[in-house]
Amino acid sequence: MNPKNLKNSAFCMLIFVMLSTIFSCKKSLDQSLSITPHNSVTDLSVWSSTSTADVFLNSIYGYLPDGNNWYDPFDNWSDNSICGFSWVLSRTQAQQSTQTPSTLAWWGGWTTGYPYDWSSNYNYIRACNVFITKVAASSLDTGYKRERIAEVRFLRAYFYQNLWMAYGGVPIITVPLDATSQGDSIFHARNTWAETYQFITTELAAAAEDLPINAAESGRATKGAALTLKGWVELFDHQYTASAATNMEVVNMGVYSLFPDYGGLFMPANNVNSEGIFYREYIPNVLGGRADSFDGPTFTAGGSETSWGGVNPTQELVDDYDMDNGKTISDPTSGYNPQKPYVNREPRFYQSIVYDGSYWYNDTIYTRQGIGSPNEIDLSDHNDATQTGYYQRKGLNDKITLGADNWNNGTSGQNYYYFRYADVLLNYAEAQNEAVGPDGSVYNAVNQIRERAQLPDLTPGLSQDAMRTAIRRERRVELAFEGKRYWDLIRWGIAGTNLNRQLHGIAITSTNGVLNYAPVTVPGGDRKFDASKNILFPIPQSAIDQNKNLTQNPGY
Amino acid sequence: MKKVIKTNFKKRPNTHGLFYKGIFYKNLVVIFLLLSFHTSFSQSNKEINGVVLGEDGSPIVGCSVMLKGSSKGVTSDSQGKFRIEVSNAKSVLQVSYVGYQIQELAVGQRTELTVTLKKENSTLSDVVVVGYGTQKKSSLTSAISTIKGQDMASQPVADLSNSLGGRATGIIFTQGSGEPGYDGSNILIRGIGTTGNTQPLVIVDGIPRNFTQLDPNTVASVTILKDAAAVAPYGLGGANGVILITTKKGKIGTPTLTYNSYVGWQNPTVQTKFVNAYQYATLFNAADDNLGAPHAYSDYALQKYKDHSAPDLYPDHNVLKELENTNTLLTSHNLDLSGGTEKIKYFAGLGFLSQDGLWGPTNYKRYNLTSNVEADATKTTKVNISINGRVEDRHFPGVSAGSIFYQAFRTPPNAPLTFSNGLPGSYIGRSAAGNISESGYTQTTGYTLLNQISIEQQLPFIKGLSVKALASYDYNPFNATNPTDPTAPIISFSRTWLTPIYFYAYDSATNTYPQVGNDGPAKPQYSEEYLQSQAFTYQGYINYHNSFGKSDLTALIVLEARNTKTSIFGAGRVNYNIGVPELNNGSANSTDISNYGYSLETKQKSAVYRLAYSYNGKYFVEASGRYDGNYYFAPGHRFGFFPAFSAGWRLSEEKFIKDNASWITNLKIRGSVGQSGALAGSAFQYLSSYNVFGNASVLNYTSTQGLMESSQANPNITWERAKKKDIGLDADLWDGLLTAEFDYFYEKRTDMLFAPTVTVPSEYGIGLSQVNSGEMSNHGFEVTLGTSHKFSNDLQAGLNVNYTFASNKLLQVFETAATYGNPNRRITGRPLNTQFGYKALGYYTSADFDANGNLLPGEPVQPWGTVHPGDIKYSDVSGPNGKPDGQITPDDIVPIGHPSTPEIIYGISPSISYKGFDLTLLFQGAGNRDFYEGVYAFDNSSSATIDALDYWTPNNLKATYPRITTQPTTNNTQVSSWWIRNGSYFRLKTGQLAYTIPTSVMRNLHMHSVRIYLSGQNILTWSHIKNFDPEVSSSTGQYYPQQKVITVGLSANF
Repeated sequence: MNPKNLKNSAFCMLIFVMLSTIFSCKKSLDQSLSITPHNSVTDLSVWSSTSTADVFLNSIYGYLPDGNNWYDPFDNWSDNSICGFSWVLSRTQAQQSTQTPSTLAWWGGWTTGYPYDWSSNYNYIRACNVFITKVAASSLDTGYKRERIAEVRFLRAYFYQNLWMAYGGVPIITVPLDATSQGDSIFHARNTWAETYQFITTELAAAAEDLPINAAESGRATKGAALTLKGWVELFDHQYTASAATNMEVVNMGVYSLFPDYGGLFMPANNVNSEGIFYREYIPNVLGGRADSFDGPTFTAGGSETSWGGVNPTQELVDDYDMDNGKTISDPTSGYNPQKPYVNREPRFYQSIVYDGSYWYNDTIYTRQGIGSPNEIDLSDHNDATQTGYYQRKGLNDKITLGADNWNNGTSGQNYYYFRYADVLLNYAEAQNEAVGPDGSVYNAVNQIRERAQLPDLTPGLSQDAMRTAIRRERRVELAFEGKRYWDLIRWGIAGTNLNRQLHGIAITSTNGVLNYAPVTVPGGDRKFDASKNILFPIPQSAIDQNKNLTQNPGY
Repeated sequence: MKKVIKTNFKKRPNTHGLFYKGIFYKNLVVIFLLLSFHTSFSQSNKEINGVVLGEDGSPIVGCSVMLKGSSKGVTSDSQGKFRIEVSNAKSVLQVSYVGYQIQELAVGQRTELTVTLKKENSTLSDVVVVGYGTQKKSSLTSAISTIKGQDMASQPVADLSNSLGGRATGIIFTQGSGEPGYDGSNILIRGIGTTGNTQPLVIVDGIPRNFTQLDPNTVASVTILKDAAAVAPYGLGGANGVILITTKKGKIGTPTLTYNSYVGWQNPTVQTKFVNAYQYATLFNAADDNLGAPHAYSDYALQKYKDHSAPDLYPDHNVLKELENTNTLLTSHNLDLSGGTEKIKYFAGLGFLSQDGLWGPTNYKRYNLTSNVEADATKTTKVNISINGRVEDRHFPGVSAGSIFYQAFRTPPNAPLTFSNGLPGSYIGRSAAGNISESGYTQTTGYTLLNQISIEQQLPFIKGLSVKALASYDYNPFNATNPTDPTAPIISFSRTWLTPIYFYAYDSATNTYPQVGNDGPAKPQYSEEYLQSQAFTYQGYINYHNSFGKSDLTALIVLEARNTKTSIFGAGRVNYNIGVPELNNGSANSTDISNYGYSLETKQKSAVYRLAYSYNGKYFVEASGRYDGNYYFAPGHRFGFFPAFSAGWRLSEEKFIKDNASWITNLKIRGSVGQSGALAGSAFQYLSSYNVFGNASVLNYTSTQGLMESSQANPNITWERAKKKDIGLDADLWDGLLTAEFDYFYEKRTDMLFAPTVTVPSEYGIGLSQVNSGEMSNHGFEVTLGTSHKFSNDLQAGLNVNYTFASNKLLQVFETAATYGNPNRRITGRPLNTQFGYKALGYYTSADFDANGNLLPGEPVQPWGTVHPGDIKYSDVSGPNGKPDGQITPDDIVPIGHPSTPEIIYGISPSISYKGFDLTLLFQGAGNRDFYEGVYAFDNSSSATIDALDYWTPNNLKATYPRITTQPTTNNTQVSSWWIRNGSYFRLKTGQLAYTIPTSVMRNLHMHSVRIYLSGQNILTWSHIKNFDPEVSSSTGQYYPQQKVITVGLSANF
């Protein structure tokens, strides 16, 4: 072979050596393409240490309602408030009760919507089921297992409670579904209302047994949280005796008390307090809230829009605040003057409502007409200014920069309360009044609320009916803007009345310097509610389409 | 070394000396260093005088005449004459000129020479770039279209993807934005064949790479591989078609220096018009009337809007127009050097492009450097080294273009956009003017470096056998979320500095303009992101080509391995107290600091083959394919085989045609069938796992990490399969007077990935991993017709027409009973993305209502609140039992429009040249596409376009828009046929009028040629949509519009 051929052959060899290193035998060829993804964890490692399992649980806590990020809070679905802008669900769907199985939607927030979406809740429930199943089967420490599983059983019951209130009886699924191994049994039919109730309360009772009285880390479920939820579910189902007992159990735990400052309770400085039972925590800029710039007064100093004005309290709500002498405004002896409506009202009014002439974020807010105020009541549905002449104050923090920074970055840090001790007292009072009548314990519970609000005690000797009325008014005022009112109207059976009429705002005009106050009907205040079917929401058509065992709620 | 350069340029005029010193020594000396291993030249002793003529006898100017085997060469002058010294009678001259075949002449004893060059444009001898090689066009059996580099270079566009449309068949495209740096077209080869990723594979010089930001002047050709036979060598990457880009290489000849430059002025193709303040206020009052609400604007206010007497209290702004600049600049400069000898050829290019945006802070700059050296290291060894690098700088305001347009569209004319002193105002707490000028910036820099080296070795012991090894290392950052996106903007490093957007109010009492608030963050924030991706590709080729009598055999085997590694890292801080955007200057508070990072990896191994046999230049058969393996899938499911077969028959070579129809220069029928694949979904779907994410919840006032179940694994998941068939006809009649190509194609895609959501209840709680179950077909045809005629030496004219039609159909998809069970709503059997909605009948009139305003009995009930005259009325098409049920429900939904992707794309390009002038036009159109218009007056407190004035009133029953309301009603904004707009269009896409300065003039300047031109892009548009560009990519119209560009340019050859 001459040298040139030798060179060529050597070159050939080189190429084939190179190629054969790339392509060797088939199996190793296959293996040579293996890559382990860098951003995921396998089943094995998740459930072998408590710290990794906790990371999974963290995500379930994240599924709880993100109440400080709603621009159309759920109170807008009730008679407490109207949204200041018209493209939201409370205006397009709830107002006229136009939800159908195909159109039912639950958005209303920056990141998440209301906690009543069918399939989202089942996603959360699945995560709970996975956690419970996997942790139970793991070899993790028994103490860890007991406490964490109890937490997750509580969380799962919470999600079921949301489904149950919205849709009635729902399929109860307690294990992770698996299409390959479970066959057709993944298609669950709906359980009845009673079965679902039974499941939730039983689970909560069991969870309460294992949960600590004080959680090692705030924000986690506790015994008090489980019992409070149980007492609420019992109340919702009109199980008054059971509810009274459960709520009394929470009272008797002796760890909760009312925070002295009602307005301050909802501010970040008081996040740690003795009243909060179960709540969502926020960290500004990281996982912060935006409610301040979504739901408060629209225009502030200089006419700049620092909030969307998402919550405009109705005249109906405002009228339910007592005078500071503890009397209702309809009481002729209360001293209420319809032409000076904001004088001498009870403290919670001033802590909850922004009204014409009150102060907010370095500015006096004028909702009156004719002075060119940007916040003038917006009866022509022209902009985001109030529809009713009022704005929300409670729970909103005007001590941070309002406006775009809060919208974009979530700069507020106050808690959003799912349950606080005032709930327990009011739940107890109502349940006990219904089960037994207005006994001393009922007075005691309601009066604690009133005393914190610097109001005189209820008049002794009220009838059961009168007490019921008093409790309901107290409840509406105390829990305003906390997402409770809609469900109260449903369970009291008065949604067909309260949500099926025209809601009002206040038109304020000035004649020769004298202000004149006139209730007016407002855009978005024309409410419709068909009590024959709207008590429950329709099950989404997509869910019905995918599971022939599901039956639709009546009327849809 | 210096001597060589001097030798090469010593004949240059002194006037240009400075120029050469500046540009050459500094920038291109590198190229000459690469050439330094071949620098010999011989002594001369004999002078040859010659002339170079074309076939028609006219002189060819600027033609390169080289002494073969040396670097010595001269160029022909304005009369085609040249003078060169040769050493002896054995010397051989090589004469070459762009567009002509190279000629070699032995000098012999002659001292006078006449060289006649033959044109290269005989299409039959053209060599076409195909997968992993080249083929003679006459022996092609597959469906391939080509675009010449010069067609791309002559268009004033920044992004190459915008140069393809209308140029060749098979390219369906939509340009969705005009934003510098992001204005590329979405290109689909033969339309859409899948519900998954539709992007074609893009190959630049043999390696998968992004092509859109290459310097157009350095592109030699673009080849579109369309049918099974053409794409088979790309296996898993081929199903959506393949775009092959070949960059320019040097040619034998004296060094040629080319300078190209243009400057252009850009404006939106359509400037969307809005109502003015008076119209806005009147319109709003009319809406209040319909609501029964008090007027929002008093007569006094209306008067003020009309007479503009108090502009700060009662402003009247033309928002978009005031925000946008007009005649923004687009400039490009490019300098190429090319040349070569027998042993070494080189091409080097330097490019610069700058494109300004609609507003100051937006611009794009690109710097390209290309160098390509091909050398014969030995007589049988060829080495090719190419380096192609670029730097891209994109600069934008801190607020995205989408947000700027969103805010511009919603800011009504009577909002204080800016005050009379120039300060920005705000609307709903957002400042449209401040968004642009005060929001900070986002600046991204992309670095791309494409390196490759190949060594080809002939193996003389078997004739026709050669081997080649190629290795490439690319530093080629990509879009991490869509690695196959050929138009993904290249980002290596981005910096984002967001500042408070302060806005102001007018206080009429004090006549001052206090700052009243801010949009954007309360304090500045800054973040950086690094993206880095490396791609390693190794290819080993075994090539065999030989002829045996009338038989011709080609065999090719390529083994390829490719892997990529990507790392992404980002960090940021908020709440800056120091206004200098560096990470270190940010807040030290731990909750103000964030960072993230992750990495990705891919691997692929493949074997490619092609066997081609032809007999007598008449009959052709070819088999090609790829055995392809990919890391996406489970062990045992990683390798697939994708074969294709094709055949061709050149009838024109048959006696019965040659004898009877001599006007048929070429006639070939060809057909192909084969399989290719496509990666779909995402990697690792075969694994069951948990995904890690940050900021899951807050516990104990500390943010926590979370773990989430990913969707349930599917261990059997695999690629999409495409079965493609194509039949084509190529004809060349009357010696090139008419050329025609026709193709019919059919593709069936199977194993498309679908999430089988409908097979589990919605209570299941987690997504199932996708399964390979979808099926879809796509068919269509393509026609190309071309003619060109030379009427005289001075006058030549040509016309090319191409037409592509591609229509797809979903054959099997997961569909819910609700849509599948209703023949009107069934997606299966219809084109992908068919638009569905209610069928609008028109407006309600007062005749539809009783005296109380209630709908008359018998009128179907519409469930979206109370309706009034002037609201849109929908057809009760069907009901739960398939019959009209008196209610408008989803059962009444029907198909209402075509998808937005056009089914038809065509191009018509006439050209004419007379003496030094030439005019080339490209008309381009699209058909069978619909635009869904969701532009509603006052939607979420937005402004209103000028069209909104044509709203329904009892006196304007035929209005375009329904009765005006302060917020569009749920009833009127239902998805319905009312809002479907015909999206077909016809455009003068490109036009160029050029003048080549006569050579007699140029000779005195010692230049070969100079061409000056006036050129444009998107020059004229005819469309049914008047207030937007027809390619409008957002149903609300809130997007960065396509641009019209008018340029003047210069191209000079030295």
